[in-house]
Amino acid sequence: MTADPSRMRPLASGIVFGLALASASAIHAQTPDPAQAPVQMLCDRLIANMKGGAQLGFSGRAAAIGPVVDRAFDLPLMTRLTIGPQWNTIGASDQSALVSAIRKLTVNQYAANFDSYDGQRFTVDPKVEARGADRLVRTSLIQRKDQPVAIGYRLRQSGNGWKIIDVYYQNSISQLATRRSDFARVFQTGGAKALLKHLDDLANRAGH
Amino acid sequence: MSVSALVPLGLLLAAPDPQATAPATQAPVTAPAHEAPTSQPAPPAEAVPATAAAAPEQSRHVRHAPGDPLEGFNRAMFSFNTSLDKAIVRPAAMGYKTVVPRPARSGLRNALANLNEPVVFLNDVLQLKPGNAFRTFSRFLINSVFGLAGLFDVANHEGLPHRKNGLGNTLGRYGVKSGPYLYLPVLGPSSLRDAVGGVGDGAVLPNAVGEPFDRTDYRIGTAVVSGLDARVQYDSEIKTLYDTSLDPYATLRSVYQQSRAADIAAITGKPEASPDDTMEDDLKDPAASPEAAPVQSPPAGTTAPEATPTEAAPPPPDATLPKAAPSAGPK
Repeated sequence: MTADPSRMRPLASGIVFGLALASASAIHAQTPDPAQAPVQMLCDRLIANMKGGAQLGFSGRAAAIGPVVDRAFDLPLMTRLTIGPQWNTIGASDQSALVSAIRKLTVNQYAANFDSYDGQRFTVDPKVEARGADRLVRTSLIQRKDQPVAIGYRLRQSGNGWKIIDVYYQNSISQLATRRSDFARVFQTGGAKALLKHLDDLANRAGH
Repeated sequence: MSVSALVPLGLLLAAPDPQATAPATQAPVTAPAHEAPTSQPAPPAEAVPATAAAAPEQSRHVRHAPGDPLEGFNRAMFSFNTSLDKAIVRPAAMGYKTVVPRPARSGLRNALANLNEPVVFLNDVLQLKPGNAFRTFSRFLINSVFGLAGLFDVANHEGLPHRKNGLGNTLGRYGVKSGPYLYLPVLGPSSLRDAVGGVGDGAVLPNAVGEPFDRTDYRIGTAVVSGLDARVQYDSEIKTLYDTSLDPYATLRSVYQQSRAADIAAITGKPEASPDDTMEDDLKDPAASPEAAPVQSPPAGTTAPEATPTEAAPPPPDATLPKAAPSAGPK
């Protein structure tokens, strides 16, 4: 039926209008950008970890967040980007060891930092920005006693979904850039082996 | 409970502050608040040297990082500040914290920040930001009158929080690049542009008002107070920096540069080139570069070959800054 409101009775036009609205909002509700999903999953798990806090203990929190980190982040790509072009000069076994080291560091830091709950919550901005082929999802950590903290995630398509490749603190400080800078000297002076050792120390330091 | 699992939270807060330290900056020499980054004892000592120990000879050949042509000098100043902090600054700051009660400390901090609002205002005007200038002016007026000469930050509760601003930002607004990164003795992280800006900001009140701002004892006194206060405020952040980095010097540099680039971008509305900007970078996967496959096999599993390309590699990244770096290829 063609919807020409002038010919319809008010009730009918009301129904049509209502349906139109309903379907519009249904479409709207169905379109959360798929890039939001991994971010939302990470935020939910972090809050759960904070609520579990002391009961879970460090290792409990690490065990809970580990699989989420695996699903939400593209750890191999993050590792390659952190090392930069010299990645290609590293042997395969060291390459995979570096990915594992970055994973352990990430997991341990999440387990150490998000360890107790005091009414915090995350809001995920429904507006997803495009950065070339990548997506930028902005979140905010709302705290009771402190100012909200803006945390942004850059995601890249990976297989059927999206995975996080960088994290921005206060929308301006990139974790990737900071790590690149932090790791560069150790890598340049001691190579992959030295970096592996230092990353392991760093991860263990976070874990106690 | 703390926030950034990924990026050391504290240093993120601390680093941008050098600029914020503006309050302390009546005297250019003043911003010892910058000492904040200077730092905390124990862990650092292990952190950096451990690296050096890994390959003492090679470290001499390492080129400076992009955006840090004075890295040698800067690193020397970083370790100088670290020792100074350990021996004098931190103990003095902890003493200040013990002796001076919290309300008195925050009152002093507010009052000094309030005295700097005219400098913020001037920079708002120079940046052609009338809205900001009006807010700064209102803030100054409210705090000076109702906040008892600035001792209480009443305006903050009225939706007019303190905003950092200074000549470094104004210069950036008009296209002046940051220039080389500088790690200054006592003052901490800066850049050529920001250091010049700090001197300019510090000259405003002494020249425009005179007494007491032009008195050396006043300058030193306020510098010491605000420096100690900042050191107290950032104590845990500084500890975080050392606890969560392999190379605290480089981490702090990166955070400082990113944060300053964001400050300038917020004023101009366009991204400011920063050696550490990943936001505007297309982040090409190094493994996807054409050289990736062939190069990968030969040096498999060894440490030594990795060090060699390093010496050859820096030129391309240096020349192109990080944006092109990933695609520059290893050789």
